[in-house]
Amino acid sequence: MLAIVVSACQSTPSSKPKELNREAGQSRIILMPPDVQLSELEAGGTLEPKGDWTAAAKTDMVEAFKAQGVARNIVFVDYDEDKLPADKRDTVHRVTKLYGAVGVSIFRHQYGDLKLPTKDNGFDWSLGPSVSVLREQYGADYALLAYARDSYSSDGRQALKIVGAIAGISVPGGRQFAFVSLIDLRTGDIVWYHHLNRDTGDLRGKEHANGTVATLLEGFPK
Amino acid sequence: MIPVSRRAVLGGLCSCSAAALAACHPMNAPEGPVAAGFRPTLSSDEGGIWQVMDKAEADVRTSPFRIRDEELNAYVKDVVCRLVADHCADVRVYVTRAPYFNASAAPNGMIQVWSGLLLRTQNEAQLAAVLGHELGHYLQRHTLQRLRDMRDKSSFGAWLTVGFGAAGSLAGLAMLATTFSFSRDQEREADRIGLELMTKAGYRPMEVPRMWENLIAEQKSDPEHQERDVFFKTHPSPEERAATLTRLAEAAGPTGEISGDRYHQHLKSLRGSLLEDELRLRQYPRTLVVLQEIVAAAGDDGEIAYFTGEVYRLRGSDGDAKRAREAYDRAVALGGYPPELYRSLGLMQLKAGERQQAEKSLGQYLQLRPDASDRAMIQSYLKPQGTS
Repeated sequence: MLAIVVSACQSTPSSKPKELNREAGQSRIILMPPDVQLSELEAGGTLEPKGDWTAAAKTDMVEAFKAQGVARNIVFVDYDEDKLPADKRDTVHRVTKLYGAVGVSIFRHQYGDLKLPTKDNGFDWSLGPSVSVLREQYGADYALLAYARDSYSSDGRQALKIVGAIAGISVPGGRQFAFVSLIDLRTGDIVWYHHLNRDTGDLRGKEHANGTVATLLEGFPK
Repeated sequence: MIPVSRRAVLGGLCSCSAAALAACHPMNAPEGPVAAGFRPTLSSDEGGIWQVMDKAEADVRTSPFRIRDEELNAYVKDVVCRLVADHCADVRVYVTRAPYFNASAAPNGMIQVWSGLLLRTQNEAQLAAVLGHELGHYLQRHTLQRLRDMRDKSSFGAWLTVGFGAAGSLAGLAMLATTFSFSRDQEREADRIGLELMTKAGYRPMEVPRMWENLIAEQKSDPEHQERDVFFKTHPSPEERAATLTRLAEAAGPTGEISGDRYHQHLKSLRGSLLEDELRLRQYPRTLVVLQEIVAAAGDDGEIAYFTGEVYRLRGSDGDAKRAREAYDRAVALGGYPPELYRSLGLMQLKAGERQQAEKSLGQYLQLRPDASDRAMIQSYLKPQGTS
């Protein structure tokens, strides 16, 4: 019987500040809507996006961040795009999209094997100064951005895994890949980053979402 | 149709394995054409795809490459609504700045029209045909069909791989190939629907094959650059489409509205910037064909003459200098050319050693473009010779 190698890969967070800027007693952090996609892994390896799971996970993650923020003496400010003028809204949308790309690059090039020769001086990643739109609008010091892609084996995939194991063929299952960052809104610099890349973890249901968020926030600056 | 029977065969096999190991997926969204006002439930496979596309649409909406000209967007949307009045509220159109012939339809009703296409359809009837084709993809749920097909075929392939070892992976490859050829059949279906919709809306069906003939002429002018055509790689050959569409258009009847003037009027304020993007591709033979087609449809004017001159000036083959100068002369005679004409003319005059004329032309350019970003460089050309 073939045992599938389980690699629960969790990074050590990259952090510049050990402590948050708390000039006003509490730190104001804008909680951006997380970029989340939950999918089902079909027998043949295709990913099928799951709309209801994704929508629920998004809500549950936001709730979990807020609940866990309280324990850390953080005021999370909701991002409300309707409060921004159209051009600024577009800018914020582009920045959050850029965050997805940069976050994946950090995973690949900071933690993965594909080291970049220009990035050998510690942790040096930024979204650029256009994030200041958020600082001006909300009077916040930081923004918290989260990104999550989670997949789960369908019944067919589960069955295939069992048959595969009997036949001696490894059939991988679903994966949880997520990262969360703290952005300094004065500079756009990513001052804290933590990712998860594991074949365990779940974002379906409040309890699971809470657990994943707690793991994501490990090592968050005080 | 072949793909249907192939799917039926696969479906049958799939349900065999399903009986054994519960591997099959229920079809959990309605089949057939999309109904007006339809929105899938989030828990269906279709709902999942719509959610992903809604997110992609937000990216398109906020993209710096979206052309935000309200009048042009409203005009294109009007044509959509004329084609499918019932679905008018379900479809959003975005004109995207990309200098190639392409348009796309997403399953959630987002339609993108690339700016390079707008230079290559020469009247409203041709634009309606393209939009009708994209609406065909949307109405027939082609993306969903393809994704379901891929899922079922790859699932089946995975079962084969596990069940029969290496032979199974070959079968998997063969199935992957049919997944892509299937989409060509969808293209054919979309062509047919596009022609039907535009005919029903009162446009002249023969404009569709005419557009394809123009595209073929453009492609033939520049055989070197055929590999640039992403569009043609995933679609049936233009020759095949032109032939099929000619047959269908002839059957649909010879009459109908063309509306070339209205089309070009709406394009006019943006046309210069689209032609600048086109020039940057440096595909001169193609651009010349496009310019000739615009002249044939909308008549010659100073702007087209100027850009024709630019093609010759930038290409710089034998005799092109003379052709460029002639085109600039024609532009000046026709009027409506951009001030950059004097910059181009001045630079050519400098090169030809006609210093006095060059100074006059470049001076004219700076006068007409007081905020020219290259003012300092142009002024350096105007300094007396021998100084630096």
